[in-house]
Amino acid sequence: MAEMQGTNLAIEVKGLVKEYPSKVLAVNGIDLNIKSNTIYALLGPNGAGKTTTINILTTLKEPTAGSIKVLGFDVIQQANKVRRNIGVTFQEMILDDELTGRQVLDYHGRLYKLGARERQKKVIELLKLAELEEAADRVVKTYSGGMKRRLELVRGLMTEPEILFLDEPTTGLDPQNRSSIWKYIRNLKEKSNLTLLLTTHYMEEAEELADYVGIIDYGKIVIEGTPRELIDKMGADTIQIAGNGNSDLFIQELKGHSFIQNIVNTNGLIQIGTDSGNKRLVEVVSIASKSGFTIEDISIAKPSLGDVFLKYTGRRLRDK
Amino acid sequence: MGAALTLWRKHMIKLISKKEESIGVLFQPILWVVLFGTGMKSVMSTGMVGNGDFYMTFMVPGIIALAAMSGAIDGGLTLLFERVQGIIKEYLVAPIPRISILAGNAMSTINKSLFQSLVILVIGVLMGAKFVGLDPLGWLGGLFLITGYSLGFAGIGLAVASRTDSPGGYHMLIFMLTLPLLFLSNALYPLEYLPTWMQVGAKINPVSYVVDGLRQTIFDSNALLTGGELLPLWLCFLVVIIFAILSMTLAYYSFKKSIK
Ligand SMILES: Nc1ncnc2c1ncn2[C@@H]1O[C@H](COP(=O)(O)OP(=O)(O)OP(=O)(O)O)[C@@H](O)[C@H]1O
Ligand SMILES: [Mg+2]
Repeated sequence: MAEMQGTNLAIEVKGLVKEYPSKVLAVNGIDLNIKSNTIYALLGPNGAGKTTTINILTTLKEPTAGSIKVLGFDVIQQANKVRRNIGVTFQEMILDDELTGRQVLDYHGRLYKLGARERQKKVIELLKLAELEEAADRVVKTYSGGMKRRLELVRGLMTEPEILFLDEPTTGLDPQNRSSIWKYIRNLKEKSNLTLLLTTHYMEEAEELADYVGIIDYGKIVIEGTPRELIDKMGADTIQIAGNGNSDLFIQELKGHSFIQNIVNTNGLIQIGTDSGNKRLVEVVSIASKSGFTIEDISIAKPSLGDVFLKYTGRRLRDK
Repeated sequence: MGAALTLWRKHMIKLISKKEESIGVLFQPILWVVLFGTGMKSVMSTGMVGNGDFYMTFMVPGIIALAAMSGAIDGGLTLLFERVQGIIKEYLVAPIPRISILAGNAMSTINKSLFQSLVILVIGVLMGAKFVGLDPLGWLGGLFLITGYSLGFAGIGLAVASRTDSPGGYHMLIFMLTLPLLFLSNALYPLEYLPTWMQVGAKINPVSYVVDGLRQTIFDSNALLTGGELLPLWLCFLVVIIFAILSMTLAYYSFKKSIK
């Protein structure tokens, strides 16, 4: 166990700046405090600085400025102590194609000086976890993209790390593989005392997995909090209605109620901003029938992290 | 050291598991000795100088030098691919000294060179090269020279592989550096037959020293082609040691820079 120096922060970053020699300011002053045993998602568009941040936290690159502690260890002064206690899955697949799945895990364990018996035990356990037992003795070249990614994810666990860094763990995977990896990540955190820092540009991924989300853009964290908090900050749910009848009268009637925040009528689609979509749905429906408006379609739209992102950065996530 | 051994082991396992490559490692030196040896031997037997067996004895060390050089070029290529494919990142986030990444690579290069040298020696004997016989000290010295020389070239390969990201660029650079070293040496022809400027070039070339060193340690120096003087043995050892140290130092700094 690493000494935590009197705090339960797994990752503590103050004023992280990274300027590449090419003068690109990839990270422009980030503070991060990530508690032990939580899942933190850095959500941001391409080029936001996610990978750069991960590279610095995992000792691959040196920061231009800032104080960065991982498990209480300084990433520059005590790099080897940091390395011993973390697991990393990089954004690109990096696997030795010509080794078998079993060999990939075994050599990883050897690099970290795990004993033969421990390696063997771990390899069996992790191949099972990744559902790769049948393919274990085939060379990685013959694996599908999903299999490779699963192998990489469990490779990071060979050494029983305290923090697992996952840089875009599901990019390039089909929805099935993606949700199985999500399930797997959640399991991991429940079973072992693990802190996870993952990056993603899928907001569903952040919503699904993360206890905390930090939205990063142009090398800065623009807002941070639990997914719930962030979404709640957005305020209104929207009830969307399409139908026939006297829409003007319907809107008139609605406006008399205090829980209605705003109404927009665009080409017959009525969007009603309200404090809580679930709670007010029935009332809205009864007002409609009272004012002789026939509803053909009705839905509640909740704000998403995408909307949060839009609000704080003024642009959409670029992955759509 | 542990990490270097792990990487060495991994490279060797990969080599053995790839049929074409391991066959190549075995047959390339055989091909060289047979083709080069037969060709040159017949030229020599027509009565130009010495006799054919003498030329074999003279030339086999040169072929060992050639094999070590080509092995080192492959070693650099391995590092280049590990860098380009990102596999190096797995090593860099592991709690291992940076130098062990180079050391592991150099160990597999030397390992291959020693194996190929053995093949060359065996074929050389079959084709008439004359050895010292049972002289443990001589063989040990020869082993040391091949190792040091192979390390030296491994260093050049690793240094160049740290500087470029394209296999094409790597090959360009590496051939520009290594082939002149082979041809501007006493590996394939006796020094005294060369024009003066080439003699001077050959004398500042580490390849000449390893080759002459081998001629005096594991080969029968009385059975050499000519009566020409060999470079002093102590100097051969010194040059090979310095060559190995310098080029590995160069590799280390160049590699350090590449992972910044
Ligand atoms: N080695 C490098 N040298 C110079 N600039 C770099 C380097 N790596 C990244 N950058 C630049 O730094 C910025 C941040 O890149 P980074 O890879 O951290 O973004 P990211 O958030 O991970 O993006 P993506 O979602 O595309 O992976 C980009 O403008 C990128 O071009
Ligand atoms: Mg990235």
